[in-house]
Amino acid sequence: MRFERIGREPDYSRYMDLKEGWLDRRIFSDADIYEEELYRIFARSWLFVAHESQIPNSGDFLTTHMGEDAVIVARQPDGSIRVMLNSCPHRGNKVCFADAGNTRRFVCNYHGWAFDTAGDLKGMHEEYCYDAGDIDFKNHGLKNVAKVGNYKGLVFATFNSDAPSLEAWLGDFRWYLDMILDNEEGGTEFIGGCIKSVISANWKFGVENFIGDAYHAGWTHDSGTRSMNNGQPFPPIDMDNSYHASVNGHGWEFGTEGVGDLFLLGRPKVMDYYNKIRPKMAERLGEMRSKIFGSVASASIFPNVSFLPGISTFRQWQPKGPMQFELKTWVIVNKNMPDDIKEEVTKGVMQTFGPGGTFEMDDGENWENCTTVNRGVVTRHERLHYRCGIGRQIEHDTLPGIVYRGQYNDANQRGFYQRWLDMMTHDEFGKMPARPEPQLGNVGETRDLPGLFAL
Amino acid sequence: MTDTATLERTCEGTTASLELTHALTQTLYREARLLDDEHYKAWASMLAEDLHYHMPGIETRYRRDKTEQVTDLTRMAYYNDSKPEILKRLSRLETGTAWSEDPATRYTHIITNVEVELTEKADEFRVYSNFYAYRNRNERDEDSLIGNRIDIWRQVGNSFQLVKRRAILKHNVMLSKNLNIYV
Repeated sequence: MRFERIGREPDYSRYMDLKEGWLDRRIFSDADIYEEELYRIFARSWLFVAHESQIPNSGDFLTTHMGEDAVIVARQPDGSIRVMLNSCPHRGNKVCFADAGNTRRFVCNYHGWAFDTAGDLKGMHEEYCYDAGDIDFKNHGLKNVAKVGNYKGLVFATFNSDAPSLEAWLGDFRWYLDMILDNEEGGTEFIGGCIKSVISANWKFGVENFIGDAYHAGWTHDSGTRSMNNGQPFPPIDMDNSYHASVNGHGWEFGTEGVGDLFLLGRPKVMDYYNKIRPKMAERLGEMRSKIFGSVASASIFPNVSFLPGISTFRQWQPKGPMQFELKTWVIVNKNMPDDIKEEVTKGVMQTFGPGGTFEMDDGENWENCTTVNRGVVTRHERLHYRCGIGRQIEHDTLPGIVYRGQYNDANQRGFYQRWLDMMTHDEFGKMPARPEPQLGNVGETRDLPGLFAL
Repeated sequence: MTDTATLERTCEGTTASLELTHALTQTLYREARLLDDEHYKAWASMLAEDLHYHMPGIETRYRRDKTEQVTDLTRMAYYNDSKPEILKRLSRLETGTAWSEDPATRYTHIITNVEVELTEKADEFRVYSNFYAYRNRNERDEDSLIGNRIDIWRQVGNSFQLVKRRAILKHNVMLSKNLNIYV
């Protein structure tokens, strides 16, 4: 299925040169470019919609957005998950006004059209007003998305029937994702509730910050770091043993010291917990990943999900126009953690990366001013510098993806904008280049493979 | 925490005397003034050592949904802090590198609808109030945070210390980029 705007054929390649390392500022505020992003990126990508732990039982639902499209995510009686537009096919009204809950029916407030949790139309107020032939119930349900997928608890959906499988979309990035989703038996869950806030900035600033911008952390977050750790400064970065890894626009920047992000969380009991399970983590994920987990690190899944492994904030940057996004924040924990450790993680996340958190407070203002100032009519024609570490690409025998040495780098940001450009310029999904060619198979095997990743 | 009076919201509490009500109302106003003026050390001295300061996140849910959002402390919250945790947050302002606080944010706390009730403990009082916290910074940044509070204040000599506070912010999506404010 194609969703297209009429009369748009701009050349997006003029907005950046990633081999040279610059971006045009107009991509952060231009209304036409933003509209096109909704069509070409958000209507075509796999988008995160839920963690399966948020809707464990039949009839459990939550509401969210895919791009600016409102959707319902609902657990079915057979245990599967469906995702459908939160919009009645009659006049378009919302059929569900709650953030979450449990129900048998979604009923529109306007004319009482009633849908089951799969989205099928089951009846309406004063049904007799429709004559035979007026309405075919089968074709007037809530529109379901094209595909729903689940990767180790994270539920994704796409409006794009031509999209590759979720496994192929995530590709070799699964090797990295397993560090947060599968570092302990039992997998993960979200803590109850979701904190939402509004930042008047372009959505890409949030994503690019988490995908690779370790560089800002020691400066922007000096005050946050010191407040959480008795005045101690940001941990030193080892440029020889830290990396950027980019896979199809997804990205993870990380050290290999194993403790940096756990230190920043400021909860010694959480540090102790991970240090205790680390030998088992090494058996599960291999030596390298057990050293990466917990280090200074941040990551984003293309296009608009980010998280901090070790600090355990998990977040989505929901676009609300070219100059605003809604930030949804959750806490992700291992299901088998003792309750007191889950509580420690939750408190730690809210004290660092909640809206009142000592780190979060200094981010929003930066992104807002990057957005508003870049809009100036002369300013917007000045290029932005994205060249840091442009010569540091390496081949690494353990790390999949496009790998750069030194986590102070713009490499993952360049990888993100390369994928952005690929999607903005390619009509056919299948013709987009893989960046890089995958090394892992698509069968769900993401353990270190003997011979492929020699340790 | 189990040794202190509860935050349970009642319809038929025992109203405190005029004198006590006046004293606690003045305490709330003083607290608001200290927060307006960023006198956080003085504010911290009004907080009991066994403080619990809670501002839960509020989801939009249907009336039939009985999920406990306010009192379930395992759920996401803006604040769910002990006194040492509040002091940690405040210490950020003393580093000299809290960039988004320089230039300073301008605050006004308006406290209204104060009611004081006696509790099962002779030296602790349940205090209801509403807050309107206004922020303005740089050129045009502004927002308004409005909600209800239930507190437990403990009499210590001639003054009072805050033992528990539950502040219910009325936002679902918090319509601001951050929450660099205490209410």
